[in-house]
Amino acid sequence: MTGALASAGPLGAPVVAQVTAIEASLFVFVVLTALFTALARDVLAAVIIFGAYSLGMAALYTFYRAPDVAMTEAAISAGVTTVLLLLTLAKTTRLDHEAAFESVNLPAAGAAGLLFAGLMLTMGDIPAVGSADAPIWSNPDVTQWYIAETYAETHVENTVMAVLAAFRGFDTFGEAVVVFAAGIAALIVLHREVFA
Amino acid sequence: MSGSDSGVDTDAADTDAADTDAVSKPATDGGFGRDRPPRSDGRLDSERRQGTPYTESQVIMSTVKIVTPFAFTYGLFVTFHGGGSPGGGFQGGAIVAAVVFMIAFAFGIEATRQWLANTVVVALAVGGALVFAGIGLVPVALGGAFLQYELLPIPDPVKYGMEGVEILGIGTIVAGVLMGLFFVLAKGFSDAGGFADADAFDDEVGDGTDGDGEPTDAESLDGESNPGGPAAADGGEP
Repeated sequence: MTGALASAGPLGAPVVAQVTAIEASLFVFVVLTALFTALARDVLAAVIIFGAYSLGMAALYTFYRAPDVAMTEAAISAGVTTVLLLLTLAKTTRLDHEAAFESVNLPAAGAAGLLFAGLMLTMGDIPAVGSADAPIWSNPDVTQWYIAETYAETHVENTVMAVLAAFRGFDTFGEAVVVFAAGIAALIVLHREVFA
Repeated sequence: MSGSDSGVDTDAADTDAADTDAVSKPATDGGFGRDRPPRSDGRLDSERRQGTPYTESQVIMSTVKIVTPFAFTYGLFVTFHGGGSPGGGFQGGAIVAAVVFMIAFAFGIEATRQWLANTVVVALAVGGALVFAGIGLVPVALGGAFLQYELLPIPDPVKYGMEGVEILGIGTIVAGVLMGLFFVLAKGFSDAGGFADADAFDDEVGDGTDGDGEPTDAESLDGESNPGGPAAADGGEP
């Protein structure tokens, strides 16, 4: 994993950088919380550790300069999802557990290991983090066009928002209607006519 | 929430010594107190009827009182400054909804539900959807395409059309629907729609012998409940 982490050098060429202490500790934190979420025997503990995992991911996204994604991860995954899962747990009966951890299911662990190995095989072809030559960044028709033309066309600085609300506005309308429909669906499933 | 664990547990052990035979380890039921047996004094029974356990904690209430104004302001900032800084309506609406969750955890979901009327939640969600569709349809009425901001009859139409969609459309939909999901999930099944209400549903699931799940059948479940099992918490009412 160390070889894949790189950043753009002063001349714009990708160079393999030292993994910073913040980055390394965030990676360790995220991997550990993911493992504990999977292995914790108590569901309440798993939900709380899962919230910590989301917070670690949000910090990681901030570190990689994706603040929009980080904000969504922090608000939705760490905040709202954790609260909704806790509410659901509060409606169930909580069992006492002798053991703190689930016993590992070996076939499932093997399948997960194979998937991990398969994904790691593709790492060599993924451009380095921050590489100026990465296709997602360097292609002139999409990313560079948005970055160059967003302010002239929409008069807002945040390209992400301009893509979501203007260039892809119809998609976003569909997504907003999906969120609205989720609220209606919850009412229907729970046989209620009012939210509050 | 973890700060209230010890208070709940000692409270359960002190006030409910008569019922400790119903569950094997009353001290380990954690902050939720969900599997404590129902009390005959009616206080916790009414909490059970709410469907959500609630622990009054000075620490949580004071913290939330301090944090709430800042978090709410930050949510509004993220919503209104989506054009010039990271964020936007989705993130800001989620933060505003999370503020309501915090208030509900500190002061009780039922109290928050009464304070924040159903009208507000529905108006946010429905109003957001209508505003988004309306901003999209105005250009259509003027002979353009859906969401063609250039045709909006306002100054700097693309920028302020987008801001209107983000703030009044997406932000309000997300805030309203998330609040609504929270409240309706806390309330649980309706007893009017063919399902049993939340308490009877718990009894039915926990006991497994009661077919119709009427709340008044609680007395008849006494002899059938299994002490030590998970069903004892719900079926073992004296």
